[in-house]
Amino acid sequence: MTFMDLINFYFVPGVVLGSIYALGAVGITLVFGILRFAHLAHGDLATFGAFAALAFVTALGVSVWVALPLAMVAAGAVAIGLDRYFYDYLRERPKILTVMASLGIALMLRAIVQVFWGVDTETYTRGIVRPESYWGLRIRDRELYTFVAMFAIVGVLWVFLQNTKWGKAMRAMSDNPDLALLSGVDNRKVTMLTWAIVGMLCAAAGFFLGLNTELKALMGWTMLLPMFAAAILGGVGRVEGAVIGGLIIGVVEEMSVLVIPSEYKAALAFAILLLILLVRPTGLLKGKVL
Amino acid sequence: MMLHTPVTDILSMSDVRGGYGDADVLHGVSLNVADKEIVVIVGPNGAGKSTAMKAIFGLLKVRGGTILFNGTDIAGWKPNRIVQHGVCYVPQVNNVFREMTVHENLEMGGFLSKGDLSAAYDRVYGLFPDLRERRRALAGNLSGGQRQMVAMGRALMLDPKLLLLDEPTAGLSPKYMEQIFEIARGVRDAGVSILLVEQHAKQALAFADRGYVLAAGQNRHEGRAADLLADREVAEMFLGG
Repeated sequence: MTFMDLINFYFVPGVVLGSIYALGAVGITLVFGILRFAHLAHGDLATFGAFAALAFVTALGVSVWVALPLAMVAAGAVAIGLDRYFYDYLRERPKILTVMASLGIALMLRAIVQVFWGVDTETYTRGIVRPESYWGLRIRDRELYTFVAMFAIVGVLWVFLQNTKWGKAMRAMSDNPDLALLSGVDNRKVTMLTWAIVGMLCAAAGFFLGLNTELKALMGWTMLLPMFAAAILGGVGRVEGAVIGGLIIGVVEEMSVLVIPSEYKAALAFAILLLILLVRPTGLLKGKVL
Repeated sequence: MMLHTPVTDILSMSDVRGGYGDADVLHGVSLNVADKEIVVIVGPNGAGKSTAMKAIFGLLKVRGGTILFNGTDIAGWKPNRIVQHGVCYVPQVNNVFREMTVHENLEMGGFLSKGDLSAAYDRVYGLFPDLRERRRALAGNLSGGQRQMVAMGRALMLDPKLLLLDEPTAGLSPKYMEQIFEIARGVRDAGVSILLVEQHAKQALAFADRGYVLAAGQNRHEGRAADLLADREVAEMFLGG
């Protein structure tokens, strides 16, 4: 196998998968940093977002690039609703209750997807897409879009967090919630804003997974572990860490097929998660200690 | 004893009872702070010093008594409402946003301000010139003394009439302790009343206008700081002889 084969058949798909994980991991890290619990419904919210985009494509007949922002808005609204009608009631209770509730929400979201869209696999577009060749580098358009869109979405989020009043309020809440309250930061608004952003990121992750593979009811759930591994690898609460963590997990998963049977690919994220918790629990960039 | 009789009390707390959960820590605490006055609360550990301060700021359940700020009873108000009325509070620990820059810490202090903050930045950087130089540094990377300045600066962004400081010199070297007291005087001279809790009772009484000695959740002594320092009983029982 030549070097270009290695790049084309393992590294490029790894970066694409990693970009998808990164979108999910950024959301996980935001929930963990600001709301301080592990959101187990994250994957299934991504599934919901992916199918919502499919609904816009089939019902409205719009292009997938119109469906994506619509699905992001829909998933953001659903995330705010989940918080308002479920998680909010557990806010003052031990966080493990919210974690378990989010597991219930995960099952509920998956059931809703199955009821509305059935259990068959779906795709956004039909037909085979042949990769373009750029000086020997073979990349499909959708792979390029996934990578670029991930950086664009996370970039917008980054600018928002660094430069706007409410973005800074989110960081303040993540940094020192008591002091944020003493400063008069409205934690209900910050919570709502966080969920809106998290829902949008979930929809984007689900959409790009669906665009590059196919849509099925379990698609998000199977991404949950690698997304968590990516968030923890990067350092919990670190947006840029989640991107780096996502890309590493994606590339390692795809590359691992070279040395271990592909059936074990899914276990790899778990192995990385264990390793990072043992060796460097704060993650690559110093995050919160779990 | 002839007390310093204030013309106007900005804060007047009388017979306040309350605590955490169901247990009362404060069993009737009364104190006053006059306009542009520095008042210190001293007393042994567990006397309810910090608790009294938290009661003013709405951080615990007040079950009895009144807390008048500028004539309005603020007992039971939520902290963000109290902040908007001109009382700001600097907690003893975790009082900065460590992952945010000095400037962003100040910005968060001004979060509730509707208008332009540039005058507030100038005022705070005027009080703490060191912070202007380090405004792009992360607060978590500053020395203890500078971090305390950030904490006070954050609380001063909304131009409060009363500043509550919970053990501002805890863990600081004597050099920084003097510096913090010096800064507090500057803040007072800028027109802000200060109520602070201190473990370093002698140094704090040497710097404050008046003091209260609390013990077991009640007032034990009160008076002009110099008088308390000179008082034999206070000295023997609370100031370590």
